Parts: sequence; structure tokens; C-alpha cells
Amino acid sequence: MRKNTWIAYVFLLPTLIAMAVLVFYPLLLGISYSFTDMNQYNMGNQFVPPSYKFVGLANYKEVLFSSDSEFWNILLNTVIWTFTNVFFHFTIGLILALLLNQKIKGRAIYRMLMLVPWAVPSFVSAFAWRWMFNGEYGFINLFLKTYFHLEPIAWLSNKWTAMFAVILTNIWLGIPFMMVTMLGGLQSIPRELYEAADVDGASPVKKFFNITLPLLKPVAFSATLLGTIWTFNMFNVIYLLTGGGPARGTEILVTYAYREAFANWNFGLSATYGVIILSFLIAFSIFYSRVAKDAGEKVY
Amino acid sequence: MKKFLALFLIAAFLVTGVVGCGKTEEKKATEKQGPVTITFWHTFNQQETETINEIVKEFEAKNPDIKVEVQAVPFDGAQNKFKVAAQAGNAPDVFRAEIAWTPEFAALGYLAPIDDLLTPAEKADYLEAPFNYNVYNGKVWGVPQVTDALALLYNKRLLKEAGVEPPKTMDELVQVAKKLTDPKKDRYGFFYRGDSYWFLPFVWAFGGGLIDSNDLSIHIADPGSVQALKFLIDLRDKYGVVPKNIDFANDYDNMMVGFKTGKYAMILNGPWATSDILSGPEFKDPNNLGIAPIPVGPEGKTGSPVGGHNYVISANTKNREAAWKFIQFINSKEAQAKFAAKNNLLPTRKSAYAMEEVKNNRIVSDFKAVLEKATNRPVIPQGGQIFTDLTPNYQAALKGQKTPEKALNDVKAAWEKLLQTK
Repeated sequence: MRKNTWIAYVFLLPTLIAMAVLVFYPLLLGISYSFTDMNQYNMGNQFVPPSYKFVGLANYKEVLFSSDSEFWNILLNTVIWTFTNVFFHFTIGLILALLLNQKIKGRAIYRMLMLVPWAVPSFVSAFAWRWMFNGEYGFINLFLKTYFHLEPIAWLSNKWTAMFAVILTNIWLGIPFMMVTMLGGLQSIPRELYEAADVDGASPVKKFFNITLPLLKPVAFSATLLGTIWTFNMFNVIYLLTGGGPARGTEILVTYAYREAFANWNFGLSATYGVIILSFLIAFSIFYSRVAKDAGEKVY
Repeated sequence: MKKFLALFLIAAFLVTGVVGCGKTEEKKATEKQGPVTITFWHTFNQQETETINEIVKEFEAKNPDIKVEVQAVPFDGAQNKFKVAAQAGNAPDVFRAEIAWTPEFAALGYLAPIDDLLTPAEKADYLEAPFNYNVYNGKVWGVPQVTDALALLYNKRLLKEAGVEPPKTMDELVQVAKKLTDPKKDRYGFFYRGDSYWFLPFVWAFGGGLIDSNDLSIHIADPGSVQALKFLIDLRDKYGVVPKNIDFANDYDNMMVGFKTGKYAMILNGPWATSDILSGPEFKDPNNLGIAPIPVGPEGKTGSPVGGHNYVISANTKNREAAWKFIQFINSKEAQAKFAAKNNLLPTRKSAYAMEEVKNNRIVSDFKAVLEKATNRPVIPQGGQIFTDLTPNYQAALKGQKTPEKALNDVKAAWEKLLQTK
């Protein structure tokens, strides 16, 4: 058996090379930039040689400890943004999946309709939502005014209403993924278990908590982990809806890293943000898989 | 370990997706023999593109030895697109750069100076304010194609019905706007944006400033600038002449719709917006659009940000002479007059203003009067980046999250850092 392992490596080689070129090299380069003062003036080009310097941990110090750093506010925004989104993605996605797992009429059509938010390019949805949230001519204010006689709200220019708006948009966008994944998980649960439970006279609630949820756990774990990472790095919705505004009220780490790189052209500082984002996600992933394991289920 | 690796890969993959936002290879036409080909990127809007295409066609007919490849680049992404292309040595020969980008591109070494090509007579023909944006580090890096400035635009009919004249001072602005405001009917005398470019005229009118191009001193936290910000807050809270809740994310479009439909009687905007405004129901009669200079502040000062675009030649060009010949043609007084007549764009050549079709364009001549009182933004490489910190702080003050003093001092601190990057 042992003799043949080299074949496996041969098969893996193309992937490894592609990963090395497309992932590891840029990743290491990015990490190394975070220890430099690189910006657009010293990065060098075909006319000017590069002249950026190694600055050690100065960037990290500035991001994490400098008094005028926006980092902690933005981190708080990011945490609120990520967990609210994933919570609602998961709960609503699960409820819809449970409904669609029933034998109801027109199930195929419902399933297809539920996928619409996913099928539309996210920037199109973001622009559509921005229009709906328009403070003067938007559909949502029109609706509130017509049926509830409420004063118009400038959704996108107050911190918490803007946060609400971007989160609502992203919940709408993210439900289909969770729903489809959960539906797949539900359908892989053997029917015999439910039949056996029926024989024992278990109530639907009991069946849900003792069969459905535990057996859904591996799927739920991967889906929420992926959802967390995606949401943490979800750039489109915030950038297109509010641009991080008002007054950086809805800025999250990736949108800020983007701004630092492509508006301020501080590549060193932006790479620092990138590394910090990466470390958070790795730490979270490890922590999360521990928790899932401790909860008694083998994952992977 | 395997699990850790898998998680690491997922995270790494997602992060590099963000950091490594791709470089696009630009196809470059290189023809050594026969007619030379020059590439030209512009950022004109749709109506203006028709005009430039006509002019380019004329140029090609007159110069069979030069072929021009024209590419329209959306204005929003143009700055980055040019930088990325120039970094890779694939920049177009001729580019239409926003005035604030020009010193930045020059400092980065992306542009070719044109001092030896520009004759003194031609240089003297350009208006001073727009031309100054092409001078950086003692060299000339381009020529101005168009200039603009924010003006006070007003709905003549509404002002007449209220029996008021367009305001000449900031005090009058308050008085006039009060008479034009009726919140019950959702009508307001004035409207301002959450974008800090629209804040600049007030900064100058109240005696504040931005960054001095000569000694690089920062004036955004000066008493005048603070007073300007307080004035804007007063317009909303004390005098109630602007809407209480301005939707920052949509405010440009809302401002335009509101002005076109008579909801807002006065706004600030530039010549580029006039063809859109004249398409609105309130302006079926184009004469209903009034154009006035920015009202003066308590000490009689005024100012409006000079905007516009330059034609520049990139450093990697192989056909500098042909590129210059092309620029001279598309920026001739005839070409500028064409843009003025068709698109209400303001020429930068004095000789163009002497031409009939420019003189007869009321919008152009009204804006010319505004421009004479306009102010240059700082001509420094960082000039294009000053808004990254000004806008969020300006919004925070408008929203009451920071006092005007605190907000503008935070801007000052951020700009001090910005000026250190070189």
C-alpha cells in the first residue's frame, strides 16, 4: 500500500502548483507587506525602483493601539454584522428548509422561487435595495407612509437604520444558500428513524430535537462556518448600499481594508488589515470546530 | 492537523481574494511600421462621447498617418484603471485625467512632461486656474480640457413667486430660503449633500480653507471652517430650510430629482449637470434655470472648488509627438467650442470664449462668471485623497455624532498623516 503513495502526489501536483501560485505566494507576499510601509509612492514601478522599508510591527501597533485608529469601532460593526446575518440566515433558512421538506403542492416552484435572491448578481440586488431604501422616493418609505402614516426615514444616513438596511439586504441574499444546504441535510436523514419514532409515539417536537437537529449538525456546522467567513468578508452589499457610511457607521473590516488599499493607497496598512482578518477567521474556525466537537458530534 | 489546514486554506483563499484584487492586462496596440497608432482613454459621459468621437474622426481624416484607438472608461473607476495600467507599463498614450489626479500621476512617474512641446503663446491662451492643476514640481504635465465650478442654481419661477432675488450673501441665503420653504408641502428653499465636495464652497465663504499648496499648512480646522459647518447645521436645525433627513447614499439623485420637480428651489451644482436639469419638468423653458455665484460669507469672501479634466501623455508612450499632435487637435479652440455648444462644457482657452457659439451659450457665460471667483483645490499629489477622511467626519458632524470642532480636528489629524506619505 505504502509504495503507491507517490501516485497520489502526482495527482495532487497540478492542484498544489495552482494553489502555490494563486494562493500561497500572494498570501505570503501579502503577509510580508504588512511589515512594510509600502504605499503607492514607494512601491516602485517600471520608472522608479521600489523604496519601501521594513517597519516591523509598526503597522500592527498603529491599527490596534493608536488612539485615532478606527479599528475597534469597525471590528464591533463587523461582529454585529456577521453574527446577526448568520443567525438569521440559519434560522430562516432552516425554517424554510423544514417547510419545503414537507410534501406540499407546488414544492418545486417554491424551491425555485426561493433561489431567486441567489440567482441575481449580488450587485444588482444591492442597487435595487438601495433604491428601495431611498429616503425620499424609496419603496419602503412609501409603503410605511401609505399604510402606517409614518414620517419618511432616511434609512441609509443614520448609523443604526443603515446597519439595519444592510443587514436586511444581506439576510435576504444569504437565505437561499442556507436553505438549500439545510434541505440537502434534511433529505439525507434516513426516513426509518422517523418511522421508528412514530412507532414509539414521539411527538413532532421530540422528533425535531432528537432526530432532525442532531443529524443535521454536521451540515449545519459547515454551512454556518462558511456563512460566517463569507459574511465577515461580504464586500458588495455594504460597499454598494452605503459605501461604509454614514460617517463609517456601517464600515466593516474588508470594506475598510479596501479603502485603505485603493483609496488611500497604503498597501502596508491594508495588508495588515488583511492579516488581521485572516487571523480572526482562523481563530474563529478553530474555536468553532472545538465547540462543535465538544458538543458530542464528530465533524469531518 | 488536516482540519486546521483545510480551515486555513478556506480562510486564506477568501482573504487573498480581497487583498489581491486582480491586475487586468490591457491589450496594447503596438505597430511599428506604417501609420502610428495611439491609444486614448477618456471619461466623457454619453452625450459628450458623441462629440469627442466626431472630433477624433475629423482628426483621423486630416492625419492619415495617425490612427487613434479610443476607449471610454467610466469616470468612477478611471483613476485606478489608469494607475494599474501605468504600473504595468500599459497605460494609454493619451488620457483624460481629472485635475486632482494629475499631480498624483506626475509624482508617481506615470506621466511625460510636455514643457518642450507647449509654446509660450499656447500656454498664455489657457485660463490660469485650470492650467495651474497641470503644474507640479516645476513642470507642466498636461493641458486643461474643461473646467467647472459649483454654482448656486435656482428655480427662477419659484423665487419670483416668493418675491425674492437670488441671494448674494449667506445671510440672504437664509432669508430667501426661509421664504421658499414649506415643510407641510414638502418644499424646501435649499438642499445640501453629505458629500464633502459640496461643503467646500461654505468653507471658503466663511474664511476657512483646506491645504495650502505652498507651505502645506492645513486650514480645515480653522475657525472659518468650523463656522461653515455650524452654518450648515443651523440651516437644518435653526432655520429649517433644508430637509431634516437627508439620505446620504442617494442624495445626488434625490437633489437632482427634487430640483427638477420644484421641490427644492436652490441647489449647488456644476455645468455638467445642466443638460440633465434642463430635461426636468420645471425647466421645460430653459430660461427658468438661474445660475449665480456662491453667496459671500460674513467677511465678503467666497469660493467654489475648481473642477475639470486635463489631457495628459503617459510616460510609457512610444509616440509622444503624435500624442501631442492629437491633443492639440482635440483641445483646439474649435473643439472646445464644440463641447461648449453641444454639452455646455466650459472651455479652458481664452480664445474659445471669444467665439460666437461660446458667447451665445448662456449657461457657459453664466458659469464663466462663477469661475472667475472660484478657488483652486490644493495642487498636491495627495489632493485626490483629501475627501476620504473629510466626508465621514463631515457626515458625523451633520449627524451630531461629533461636534463640528472635533470632526474637523480629526480631519486635520488625518491630513497631517496623509501629507507625510510620499
